[in-house]
Amino acid sequence: MGTSDRLERIRERANVTDRDADEPTVLAAVVLAISLLLLSPIAWVLLEASEMQAGRLIELVASETTTTVTVNTLILVVAVTALSVLIGVPLALLTVQTDLPFKRFWTVTAALPLVVPSYIGAFAFVSAFGPRGELADLLSPLGIQQIPTIYGLTGTALVLTLFTYPYVFLTTRASLISFDGTVVEAARSLNASRWDAFKRVTLPQILPGIAAGALLVALYTLSDFGTPAIMRYDVFTRMIFVEEQARNLDAAAVLSLLLLVLAMAILAVESRIGAGRDGAYVSSGDRRAGEIKLGYWKLPAMGFCALIAALCLALPIGILGLWLVRSADATQAGFVFELQHVTNSVTLAAAAAGLCVVVALPIAYLSARGDGTLSSLPERVSYVGYAVPGVVIGLSLIYLALRFVPFLYQSLFVLVFAYVVRFLPQAVGTTESSVLQVDPSYIEAARSLGYGPITSFRKVVLPLVAPGIAAGAALVFLTTMKELPATLMLRPIGFETIVTYIWLVRGAAYQGQAAVPALILVGVSGLSMLIILRQEG
Amino acid sequence: MTNDTSGSSRRRFLALGGATAAGALAGCAGLFSNENNQAGVSLSDFRGSGPLVESRGQPDGTSIADLPDLEGSLTVYLGGGEGGLYVELLDLFEQAYDNFSVNHRLDSSSSLANTIIEENAAGATEADLFMSVDAGSLGAVANAGATQSLPSEALNAVPGSFQDGDGRWVGFAGRARAIPYNTDQLSPSDIPNTVSEFPNTAALEGTMGWAPSYGAFQSFITAMRLNKSDEAARSWLSEMQNHGITEYGNEFAVSNSVADGELAAGFANHYYSLRVTSARKNAPLDLYFTEGDAGALVNVSGLEILSGSEKSELAGNFVRHVLSSEAQEFFATRTFAYPMISGVKPVGDLPRVDDLNPPDIDLTELADVSGTVDLMRDVGVL
Repeated sequence: MGTSDRLERIRERANVTDRDADEPTVLAAVVLAISLLLLSPIAWVLLEASEMQAGRLIELVASETTTTVTVNTLILVVAVTALSVLIGVPLALLTVQTDLPFKRFWTVTAALPLVVPSYIGAFAFVSAFGPRGELADLLSPLGIQQIPTIYGLTGTALVLTLFTYPYVFLTTRASLISFDGTVVEAARSLNASRWDAFKRVTLPQILPGIAAGALLVALYTLSDFGTPAIMRYDVFTRMIFVEEQARNLDAAAVLSLLLLVLAMAILAVESRIGAGRDGAYVSSGDRRAGEIKLGYWKLPAMGFCALIAALCLALPIGILGLWLVRSADATQAGFVFELQHVTNSVTLAAAAAGLCVVVALPIAYLSARGDGTLSSLPERVSYVGYAVPGVVIGLSLIYLALRFVPFLYQSLFVLVFAYVVRFLPQAVGTTESSVLQVDPSYIEAARSLGYGPITSFRKVVLPLVAPGIAAGAALVFLTTMKELPATLMLRPIGFETIVTYIWLVRGAAYQGQAAVPALILVGVSGLSMLIILRQEG
Repeated sequence: MTNDTSGSSRRRFLALGGATAAGALAGCAGLFSNENNQAGVSLSDFRGSGPLVESRGQPDGTSIADLPDLEGSLTVYLGGGEGGLYVELLDLFEQAYDNFSVNHRLDSSSSLANTIIEENAAGATEADLFMSVDAGSLGAVANAGATQSLPSEALNAVPGSFQDGDGRWVGFAGRARAIPYNTDQLSPSDIPNTVSEFPNTAALEGTMGWAPSYGAFQSFITAMRLNKSDEAARSWLSEMQNHGITEYGNEFAVSNSVADGELAAGFANHYYSLRVTSARKNAPLDLYFTEGDAGALVNVSGLEILSGSEKSELAGNFVRHVLSSEAQEFFATRTFAYPMISGVKPVGDLPRVDDLNPPDIDLTELADVSGTVDLMRDVGVL
């Protein structure tokens, strides 16, 4: 080998290291820019909060109401999260690891409640089980005058659980599908009981998956306004709403900051549980564990699946159907529900889903491949917007858009950006777990074949992470379809969607006219849920 | 558009009760040609239906037929959940004129007031008019200097107590505070004629309901602060709490619960009870009106022209249309509100607005909800 050859090779090697060093820097810079943009609404919250006089600030923070709603909110978050785990995890186990009959069907019914907006679920529950509800009407001829109240903590926790547990179901299911079943068989062959094998082998493997879903449930509960308001339970978002309506923007901002503190505490808890994520997703084996034979438990297990499906799907759809039938002969308002409402909703949701996916990829990649807390910080940051009530994001973006990008004010760009701020973590989470499943040696192999970093990413990584990306896109799509508060505040004039239409007719007390749009909303979102399930196999 | 000739009139209103008076207006003679009436809009389109509306006479006042044509396009920020009903009125105006269109943005009055104030500060007003279900929101926008003056014809049509002292906004529909009570459980004589006596009335102990998160209730407390003092409002709230009161999310729910007998009485705007009775004819529900105090507050839905608008004339004409006899009939019969012009009476056996005895306060000052919410939170009601 001549000297020139050797020099050539050294130069080549140097080039390679240079390129390798640049990649993470570019990636990190992109991610940093994205994170700053995502946090921009918080800048307004800080600015507005800082304008509050010290006296009023102390009075507000120290008020009895603030203490009460903090405690109430925490109780609700814990209750909903725990109940969601208790429903979501067994459903995932049943539909993935057992010989449950009609598994495919139950998988779909277990995931679908996520497409029902929880405020519509809440209306349905009040219509069914409220003091003047259908159940009370059925029972009163039998002499039963009083039924236990649906209002308060019990009802709120129940409704929120029933329409958010699918987050836990989906993430748990994903980790159950991807984890190497041979490990369980190994444990069993070492004479571990089924329960022991579950506790010592399966559970640690799927725990980060459960935690990821539980995190989404907990933060959703924290930021939801509609359900607690309908079910009459006093939480933080109600207080923020009252201040916003009273045009006490500084107080609304201060309360939002308190809410963010709660959100960060929840994120910290999840980080601890999720810390073992390295082992969780990487060991994606081709083999699933042998099916658990349910035996006598088949019937009760199906009963459980059916009960959840009845409460989460049959009940709200049935109530919507009743509204529809009853409104047939009632006076109709002049508001016409048009195809345009549907296409507007779908366009917005698709744009939000597309943008979230693009933004999520670098964040997820950095978090999955980077080392140390710093590289996963942007992933954590992406959850912040998810925990902020939509009305606060709306206020903030009106202010920011008017000042910094007036030409974009009241354009769809700002609205779609609001959705990205609110719903990005759903896409980051699913993308990250699929990135983790890509063996880094594949990329090295591609690089050694002479492909550049972008080409090898496109040829090797992208096809492998595509299912995760699609699932993330579908999740963002269906959540955007349901979003109300930010949509109301930021939509361009004359741009009406399915949910703004529902809001309009309900406000004008033409409840029956909300039935068709609500059913269409559930139907369209249901299609996107099928995409999620397909991707997961 | 007084230069319309009979052949080219775009007006498609049927001649109404006010038509004879209208004939006197110079240059308008050609407006009443019927040739384009096929697709037109008549009084019955504005009027609601149902038991409360049957056998009403013709409304008096300025008919739409007497007003200049609406021509061009306007953008309206439309505040309030019930504001959704107003969308129908905008549609009727659009149907009436070929060359008129209204874009609207519907959200809560407070949120829109916030938005308008922000837009005004940034010099980027998007709307020509703000149409709000709450005088406080109108006042907040006016106090932020975001309005321009209204035409005198509009201001002259409405009593002084239902418009801004400086003519920056004008009311177009009234909503009276009232005490809905269950007629099986209470008779009017059980209810004192001022709310300040409620905490000392045994018949009302532990049997009433309210909705403190609701904007209308907060306006009522703001009125109490203005009419008496912060201290009076504070002690009244805590006395009511000690007297035993149930909390609801909104005043329709309060009114419904009174009709069901869950509550003997409540605090609510008058029209929620009318909504209940129009759906449930035999509900044992009636309204009681207190006198001269905050409990007798008459808040208004109103309109203001925003300072950023370059269509002052069209906007002013629009305001006059909203105060026409047909539009006032719309508010009376479809939203069960108090009409603001004397020629149109409220539905059913509601007392005339002149027979109510509201407190003597400037409705613009209802803008101070902020202080009310601070106070209510402090007392522990919110």
